[in-house]
Amino acid sequence: MILNTDGTKPIYVQIAEWLETEILSGSFNSDQKVYSQYQLAEIFNINPATAAKGLNILADGDVLYKKRGLGMFVSNDARERILNKRKKHTLKKLVQDLVLEAERLNVSEEEVFDMIKNVKRNWEGT
Amino acid sequence: MKVIESKEMTKVYGKTYALNGITFEIEENKITGIIGRNGAGKTTMLKIIAGLFKETSGEVRVFSEKPFNNLTVSANMIFIDDGMILPASLNLKEILDEAERFYENWDSSLANRLFDYFSLSPNQYHSNLSKGMKSTFNMILGLSAKCPLTIFDEPTTGMDAGVRHDFYRVMLKDYLAYPRTILLSSHHLEEIEDLLEDILLIKDGRVHLHLPVADLKEWAIGLSGKKDLINEWVKTKKVFHEKSIGHNNLYVVVKNDFTIRELENITLSGLDVFPVSSSDLCMYLTQKTKGGIDDVYNKAKSDKYS
Repeated sequence: MILNTDGTKPIYVQIAEWLETEILSGSFNSDQKVYSQYQLAEIFNINPATAAKGLNILADGDVLYKKRGLGMFVSNDARERILNKRKKHTLKKLVQDLVLEAERLNVSEEEVFDMIKNVKRNWEGT
Repeated sequence: MKVIESKEMTKVYGKTYALNGITFEIEENKITGIIGRNGAGKTTMLKIIAGLFKETSGEVRVFSEKPFNNLTVSANMIFIDDGMILPASLNLKEILDEAERFYENWDSSLANRLFDYFSLSPNQYHSNLSKGMKSTFNMILGLSAKCPLTIFDEPTTGMDAGVRHDFYRVMLKDYLAYPRTILLSSHHLEEIEDLLEDILLIKDGRVHLHLPVADLKEWAIGLSGKKDLINEWVKTKKVFHEKSIGHNNLYVVVKNDFTIRELENITLSGLDVFPVSSSDLCMYLTQKTKGGIDDVYNKAKSDKYS
């Protein structure tokens, strides 16, 4: 991953999301140790305090747990927590933007539903 | 532990206040970016911390001692800028050898590897180097000294983009291996912000902001949309920057103390919400007028027609 530094999303949030994606894709399993703040700093060329902040978001959300002096490890239910969080926040935000744009363009709900269905059908068709 | 403590640091040149009561503290092993417009007082402040200038008034402590003419500070601190005066009779290799004798933690292996990597030749003299090569050599000195307090004042002057990129990378790697307190001043915040932990924004000889870089990103927010609607939302807020877009639209940058609920409502009311990049924000905060350079022209226009 290359960090997006144009200011749209804080770096530590990008780090947290990157780790989440790594966990979802199976690069890290339950109870496996994830990168330390120093490893993340080296990988992404960022200040280790920023990397720590990214790790701490995940620890606060119980996606990771801390072992004193050993580092951060993947929780048992990390996958469910990540999926849940993304549904509640990321997806909700995307839907909000969608509804807002539809309103601006005077597009009815039915039309929006149809567009969603069309996109899905196209994907399944290919 | 606090490496630097400054209380009301003031420096007066003739009748001009270069520094007008600078108060801040810097914790051990943090990388802090010193940001400010030309003439804000960055270099004067850094030179006082380095013990090269004496403050006019105020209390300055570095490693708990007064820095001016102080051997403890000199031995544990290195100050790098583009005006470094190095002995004209020594070639580059001899300068490195002398630095090794002075700095206790000197890393000659790092110095030699960097020296080779950047293709400097040992027999050259500092005064014959190009601007960018001088900065590169100074940077090698600054990093290899491994001083507990390392100060880089505009270290990248004259460096090409590739060398700047390498410098930031090697600074971070060396910091990860040997954590130390680093002050880094630059006009290119967007290039260095990811490396920084804290930021110290200097304006008119005073500290304007001192906070973690991560917080700076969320400190302000940009709103754009219909003028009336925007004015409604920001009437109680401090506006840092304002730009008309056509006749009815406005873009403003305000302090972000909106609640999540309020931000949702702002979006739902049809306004666009933008994050403000750190370097743009610092520019707005240090501008004298809200409209920036556009005001110069707008004023001329309104004078003409009034």
